[in-house]
Amino acid sequence: MPSVIKAKNLRFAYRRVPVLENVSFEVSAGDYVGIIGPNGGGKTTLLKLILGLEKGDGQISLWGTSVEVFKDWQKIGYLAQKSPVSQSRFPISAQEVVLMGLSQRLGSKVEVGELKQVHAAMQKTRTREYAGKIFHDLSIGQQQRVLLARALVSNPQLLILDEPSTALDAQSREMFFDLLGELNQKHGVTILLITHDTGEVGKHISKFMYVDKTVVFFGTKEEFCHSEAVAKQLGPFAQHTIDHMHNHHGHCPLGENCAECGHAGGKHA
Amino acid sequence: MLEFLSYGFVQRGLIAGTFVAVACAILGVFLVLKRLSLIGDGMSHVCLAGVAVALLTSTSPVYMSVPIVMAASAGILKITEKFKIYGDAAIGIVSAVGLSVGLLLTALAGGFNTDLLGYLFGSILTVSASEAVLCGVLLAIVLLCLKLFYRYLVSACFDEPFAHTRGVPVSTVNLILVMITSVAVVLAFKVVGIFLISALLIIPPVSALLLSRTFKQILGLAACFGAASVWGGIWFSFMFNIPSGATIILVNLAILLGSFVWSKVYAH
Repeated sequence: MPSVIKAKNLRFAYRRVPVLENVSFEVSAGDYVGIIGPNGGGKTTLLKLILGLEKGDGQISLWGTSVEVFKDWQKIGYLAQKSPVSQSRFPISAQEVVLMGLSQRLGSKVEVGELKQVHAAMQKTRTREYAGKIFHDLSIGQQQRVLLARALVSNPQLLILDEPSTALDAQSREMFFDLLGELNQKHGVTILLITHDTGEVGKHISKFMYVDKTVVFFGTKEEFCHSEAVAKQLGPFAQHTIDHMHNHHGHCPLGENCAECGHAGGKHA
Repeated sequence: MLEFLSYGFVQRGLIAGTFVAVACAILGVFLVLKRLSLIGDGMSHVCLAGVAVALLTSTSPVYMSVPIVMAASAGILKITEKFKIYGDAAIGIVSAVGLSVGLLLTALAGGFNTDLLGYLFGSILTVSASEAVLCGVLLAIVLLCLKLFYRYLVSACFDEPFAHTRGVPVSTVNLILVMITSVAVVLAFKVVGIFLISALLIIPPVSALLLSRTFKQILGLAACFGAASVWGGIWFSFMFNIPSGATIILVNLAILLGSFVWSKVYAH
């Protein structure tokens, strides 16, 4: 599979305090990577470096082009952890927010094709009914779904999501992760997702990255479950994380590949 | 009642004041929503330094202040980005430095005189024809930038990090915004005076924000409120022989109160 993201010897310090050191990894097209790790471990900073929002040492390339000169931003959808204007009244409708996800060009006129794309993205995230409402007047969960539509509107090949499900209720969360799973499996969208919810997303994720100042582990779910490095780094948390993945909804995310339940039709006893 | 319109100096004041007030109101919408409302206040303090330099060197305060205020604005952005501190703190630093330098140079220039007082409190009725033309050019530039970069501006104003991931040159957009604001602030000190400039940038957008449901509405309403305040302010000033800078701001305040009451009664 061709490389989508390649990071080499990344280093980032905030006021001389190292946040990330010696980070190297490669994400291939079609990967669905769950990024986990402790608070303050540098997960969000890593995503910001990939998006060029922070500048550190080392090299990052997107589809072979250095992030510093990368121009093809329509290929990337980004959803941050927090809603940008949750505390202030910004007079803009949900539909206009989604429109921001399309190519930023000169002028203010909205093309018919652009509107169709906006409606399709809002349909996917079940936010069409809020299209005309002021974004600020929506609940935090509704805002987050509108922002997901904004991330999806350009039909990106790479989705970068920073704890997107924090503000969502259980039903919306399930819809959200099922949608991400569908985008990954049916449309081949590469996904990088920071999450603490290994159970909910475990059934879709193909690889895990454990970040704690550096990339402690990067590999498949199967390797994650049996990694000594992970067990050593995480201690009791490793077993908790793996148990959580295995036990969520009674389904094993590893399915037939799981050494524990491969012969039980993907279900733990 | 409309007799005041027959005077040439009033006509120039009205034209220049309307151009500047509309430009300030439009720029103010972006500054208020980006939480940079007080940048006008900071720039106006730096204006004092520009005026003092002009008085000291016997040059035009407007032309002398423009580069000084632009440099200070760029400094505010640089401090915010480089030292990762909040915009209001950066504004406070630059503002205090500008005021100190202004006071120092004023003392060297022979202390406060009538010229300086005119700049501090505004003298819209002494606007020259060339200054009125300059105000028109400013408004034309603001409207052209708004037309061309509308999506960039709204996107960068709403969510800077996301705008960056769409390829919006956020730093350049911010720089252009504060540079144009610098020129507007310098031209506005003739209209309302150095002490009251920031009100032209803040009050019309805040009033419009109370009544608007879309971004285009807030831009249109803020521009109308800004223009109405200049016309109302000059009329009151002429009728009651009181300072026009103060009346313009008080009319703005009346519009703000009216907008507040309207928004409460007809809550949307």
